[in-house]
Amino acid sequence: MKLLFSAFLIVLMPFMVSADTDHSKFTQHYKESLFKITENGHFSVEMVLKEKVLQVGKNAINLILHDNKDRDVVGATLTVIPWMPDMGHGVSEQPVIEEKGGGLYKVKNVVISMSGRWELRITVARDATEDTTVFEFKDIKKGKGHHHAMSAPAAGDIDLSVTRLSHKKLFSVTYESLLDPLRINRIHSWKLTVKTADGQPVTGATVTVDGDMPEHGHGLPTQPEVTQEVGQGVYLVEGLKFSMPGWWVMDFHIQKNDQEDTVTFNIQPK
Amino acid sequence: MKRTVRQYLLHFFFILLPVMTYGTERAWSSDLHTWTVEEIGVLRSLSIDSLPPLPKDPTNKYADNKKAAILGNIFFTDSRFSGNLKVSCATCHPANRNFADNLPLAHGMGTTNRRTMPLIGVAYNTWFFWDGRKDSAWSQALGPFESPVEHGFTRTRCAQIIIDHYKDDYEALFGPLPVFSKRDLPALAKPAIDEPVSLKAWITMPPDVKDAVNRIYANMGKAIAAFMRTIIPAPSRFDHYVRAIVEKDQKSAIKILSSDEVKGLRLFIGKAQCLNCHTGPLFTNGDFHNISIPQPADLPADQGRADGIAKVLADEFNCLSVYSDAPRSDCGELRFIDTDTDKYAGAFKTPTLRNVAERAPYMHAGQFSTLHEVLEFYKNLPPGQRSPELGHFDLNDREMHQLESFLRTLSGPLIFASD
Repeated sequence: MKLLFSAFLIVLMPFMVSADTDHSKFTQHYKESLFKITENGHFSVEMVLKEKVLQVGKNAINLILHDNKDRDVVGATLTVIPWMPDMGHGVSEQPVIEEKGGGLYKVKNVVISMSGRWELRITVARDATEDTTVFEFKDIKKGKGHHHAMSAPAAGDIDLSVTRLSHKKLFSVTYESLLDPLRINRIHSWKLTVKTADGQPVTGATVTVDGDMPEHGHGLPTQPEVTQEVGQGVYLVEGLKFSMPGWWVMDFHIQKNDQEDTVTFNIQPK
Repeated sequence: MKRTVRQYLLHFFFILLPVMTYGTERAWSSDLHTWTVEEIGVLRSLSIDSLPPLPKDPTNKYADNKKAAILGNIFFTDSRFSGNLKVSCATCHPANRNFADNLPLAHGMGTTNRRTMPLIGVAYNTWFFWDGRKDSAWSQALGPFESPVEHGFTRTRCAQIIIDHYKDDYEALFGPLPVFSKRDLPALAKPAIDEPVSLKAWITMPPDVKDAVNRIYANMGKAIAAFMRTIIPAPSRFDHYVRAIVEKDQKSAIKILSSDEVKGLRLFIGKAQCLNCHTGPLFTNGDFHNISIPQPADLPADQGRADGIAKVLADEFNCLSVYSDAPRSDCGELRFIDTDTDKYAGAFKTPTLRNVAERAPYMHAGQFSTLHEVLEFYKNLPPGQRSPELGHFDLNDREMHQLESFLRTLSGPLIFASD
């Protein structure tokens, strides 16, 4: 009997040891993070996001990666796929990943197109090593207690300013819709006033337009264009149309000489 | 819905236990007809009371001309404008049947590859046909005349019939008809890319004669469009219900729609996600979507909008053409058309849901013969073909029945705007 027990222990030992070391190799460095070890034990992934939840719409997350010797993972290639397992679909929008150094990767444009159960499927590849983990979010909700597929984030949740600074703060941009108030399914024009951050008009810039509906992952039904500069740094945008009520995001990419930047407006046509 | 159930249970346990059967029924039914401010906003947006006045058609200066509409109505039903003297617009769009033929594929001189489109509220459209290959009602109306499987006719013969039979009415509206010799109007002539004999006859005509024929043909379309514009929906039971709700007249509201119909309405604006495409008082966003509908095996593959984009841009009667009355500035839809053919591959126009129950079969090639089949299709889309905006995969049989019941409340009479 004793022998049998010893044999049992000996057989079990390697598993116990390996299970033990598996845990000791990885450390959760950030208290507030969601922590996962990749399937084959090559990396740990810590996900830092506001209140540990994703919301319907565009999300930004931070990922901190360590390898199994607790070293920062630098120069890895990451893929992040939002996936809805019950529906068997993802989203058409691709997350944008930027390595910040020290094992930190910023992931923007993580689009969650509807409420419900979602997964973020993350693959880490460095040199010849590739490994995967899945973060599950059991019940992603819209911004604030809305029930309908059509409802947009509450007015207070998103910045509806008509004047905003571009992302790199190069330009201060104001839009004026010539259709006021903004309505759906009406083709119309905007006037876009572009100034430098210190208020000088930006003339002769090349401005391109793009728009999309983050909650739905689709773009505009038209291809709007800047057709002319109608005043000093004032550009006419023609062909705008919104096919659904709700939250839309309009991006204007502005290029003047060697400076370029993008400004984003949130709008809620009715 | 969760809140409703919880309230129901609270009522059940603490208030209504002594008068169980009667009391719970009442609590349930008044809750069913209680809508939040936000929901009432959605209901109003779908109501016929939100339908704006007929939009101007800058491409057609006769659009609101009553005499043009009367002449257009006559053209609409005149089967002399067909190769076999049997086909008129009304063949597929009979006035006594909702202007729809209830066939899977339209029958004229032959059989088309698509289903006849509803004409209800047609003036509110931006794009015409399932693929939006036309950008005005009048240019749309001209298409079928020269289609070999519809009217099987030519524009030169249309011009000849107008000269022979409609001279006075035409000239009173559009001015003097040109004088043609018999040789000027070859009966076969039309710019049909796949009918070389007709194409040759057309191409070899003198430019000024071609232009004169095109003007008569365009005016014919403008008269027909002036008539089609007048076909608009009248209030359905759904609209009467919304009026009662907006006026806080719950007593009337309860009598207008049944519980199942109201539950169906809640699904429609909620978890069934129908609103993603079927918005506004005509229950359509006017856009094009690929919903992975199977193409019938005996029909050629159909790229829908992806092919319609080049067609409308190349159309000799589009908004920017010399036959359009619109200034360039009024042609925004065409000038800023989305040319992304990948996005629109296999996409077809979202049809109105007004009178949808009267209009079986459904989809661009009549793929489904009942509303039930349509709803089942959305429910059972295979995972690979699901988009986040499409489908109601989690509805149970009871809810599917309720949704269908609601769709049947959208039927109402058609009226003529000029009446």
